[in-house]
Amino acid sequence: MKVAVVGKGGAGKTTTSSVVARVLARGGASVVALDGDTNPNLGLSLGVGFDETERLVGMRQALDADEGDGDDHAADWDDLLDRFASTGPDGVQFAVVSQIDNPDPGCP
Amino acid sequence: MTSTSSASDTADARPLRTAFVGKGGAGKSAIVGTFARLLARADDEPVLVLDSDPMPGLAFTLGLEIDDAGIDDAAVVERAEGEEGPRFRLRPGLSAEDAVEAYATVAPDGVRFLQIGNLRGGVGSIMRSQHAFHQIKSELPRNRWHVIGDLPGGTRQPFLGWAGFADSVVVVIEASAKGLLSGRRFAKLAGSVVEPDRLFAVVSKARSSDDAQQVESRTGLRVIESIPWDDAFADAEREGLAPLDAVPDAPAIQQIQSLVHALQGVLT
Ligand SMILES: Nc1ncnc2c1ncn2[C@@H]1O[C@H](COP(=O)(O)OP(=O)(O)OP(=O)(O)O)[C@@H](O)[C@H]1O
Ligand SMILES: [Mg+2]
Repeated sequence: MKVAVVGKGGAGKTTTSSVVARVLARGGASVVALDGDTNPNLGLSLGVGFDETERLVGMRQALDADEGDGDDHAADWDDLLDRFASTGPDGVQFAVVSQIDNPDPGCP
Repeated sequence: MTSTSSASDTADARPLRTAFVGKGGAGKSAIVGTFARLLARADDEPVLVLDSDPMPGLAFTLGLEIDDAGIDDAAVVERAEGEEGPRFRLRPGLSAEDAVEAYATVAPDGVRFLQIGNLRGGVGSIMRSQHAFHQIKSELPRNRWHVIGDLPGGTRQPFLGWAGFADSVVVVIEASAKGLLSGRRFAKLAGSVVEPDRLFAVVSKARSSDDAQQVESRTGLRVIESIPWDDAFADAEREGLAPLDAVPDAPAIQQIQSLVHALQGVLT
């Protein structure tokens, strides 16, 4: 299943998502947790720690800095996870999919 | 364009042009709503509060029951075929100041309140009010009007030009793990928007005397005020009441009052 968690600032989206992800993983599911916040903190709630959270944020940002495409497009989902996800407590795979320095212009 | 600050005009007090930014739920709207009213009480210049969050929130803290304070569609005209410029603008003859006087909602203490519009009718429904909002932001005369912006949580809006009206930025930070990490990111991003001496941190929901110290050391920002965690303030907010009316003597309100003085002291 694929679940998106949305809501007002401070409502508990990140905290709730992280607990849901870990509980599912403990139940035997394979779980991927994606942080789509422009201010990504999900790593902290999942328990991967400051440094790893910041490393994944940095990795996401480096993607935009490096415009050169061509043949290094990821082949598929598993390839993307290999390259950009980190495995946290309970085996939850975690990746940052937003980035903060140059968010897309547009609607509020 | 607007006039720029120079050594020669520092004699006149310049109104505040301040954007409040920070992590979702940090307390921006709670602070701004109270701050704006206390500023209006303390100063003769009129106060305009800009709410660019399409979700409701700030209006309650101000003491308004409405949740839609976008500019009326009637104030806006569509660009004629072949004309240059944005698709919508204020109708000819209606200045930014006129538009505020005529269409902004009047909140207690005379604060003018303007929202980008809400998304009740979908994103398309705020096109007109959104354009008017941006035009007012950039054209309102700098020598009158305090302009205080409450930006939505996160880094998307503040650093995409939505804080462009501001010459000072306050980052609202809770001294929690996530709050501090976020604060560090905001500090980095805001450095490119305003001068370092016009960038401040306000500690929100402070629980210990150590919080301010933590914020300073983790973010490198100067803490200009700490607002304590305050149950009475939180209860008023929960009820949808303006804390300033419901619990005027609450500790958080006293600190927001000192924030008004502190910012006026450094910036005007
Ligand atoms: N000093 C305080 N003491 C207790 N509760 C507070 C305090 N300041 C804010 N709050 C509460 O914290 C919650 C979040 O505040 P608020 O809505 O102002 O945050 P925000 O930063 O504007 O959020 P968003 O990012 O969604 O716009 C509210 O319930 C508010 O009442
Ligand atoms: Mg808010």
